[in-house]
Amino acid sequence: MTQSTDAFDRDVRRFVYDVVLRRGFPPTTAEAAAGLRATVDEVRACFARLAAGHILVLQSGAGEILMANPFSAVPTPFLVQFDDYACYGNCIWDAMGIVAMRGRDALIKTSCGDCGALMEVRIVTGALQSGEGVAHYALPARRWWDDIVFN
Amino acid sequence: MLLFRSEEHVTRWCKAWRMERGGILTLGQQWRLAKVWYGADRRDPTWQRKTPDEAEAIFAELGLTGPFWRLRPSA
Repeated sequence: MTQSTDAFDRDVRRFVYDVVLRRGFPPTTAEAAAGLRATVDEVRACFARLAAGHILVLQSGAGEILMANPFSAVPTPFLVQFDDYACYGNCIWDAMGIVAMRGRDALIKTSCGDCGALMEVRIVTGALQSGEGVAHYALPARRWWDDIVFN
Repeated sequence: MLLFRSEEHVTRWCKAWRMERGGILTLGQQWRLAKVWYGADRRDPTWQRKTPDEAEAIFAELGLTGPFWRLRPSA
């Protein structure tokens, strides 16, 4: 890597979101290293900087991406179905955020946090077409990043 | 942030988990927040996270005001 850290971080961020928007889940450190002609250690260090800046959330241990908000790298109760792929959001905000980010029609499938009943939200041509219910934010805004996985 | 069938279900969930009731958004408010929050292309080199002032202004436009929606402790 011969470029500045800031420039590299921007390139990594662009690469991560290119990949996640194309296929619905973020790249591994190895994939990012290969795609950016960098070393895994350089990518890992960059992921850590992006996580410190609250742009990514990493899995504990290996330093792989857990969340490239609004996308989740692992299955969650917030399934987002497009016509070309299905993926997972980290919460109802993020599930809708994925739809907003892609700008495509989608069906979100989740369940009531209380009773577990299936809940579906359909978004068509940028508008909420069907769905019901309310979103509940358990923690006040200033505490969201205290425990972003819980939140 | 979970989705619930109604505010009554939120109340039951809070009681079951001994949690205080937090902030409630209608589905329409949530969709508008998602569009504003995630509408910008994060691949753009000039993209930056929203500042606390920008975020609080977005919340306020959606009617989300009061201490719960502030990003900094009150002075």
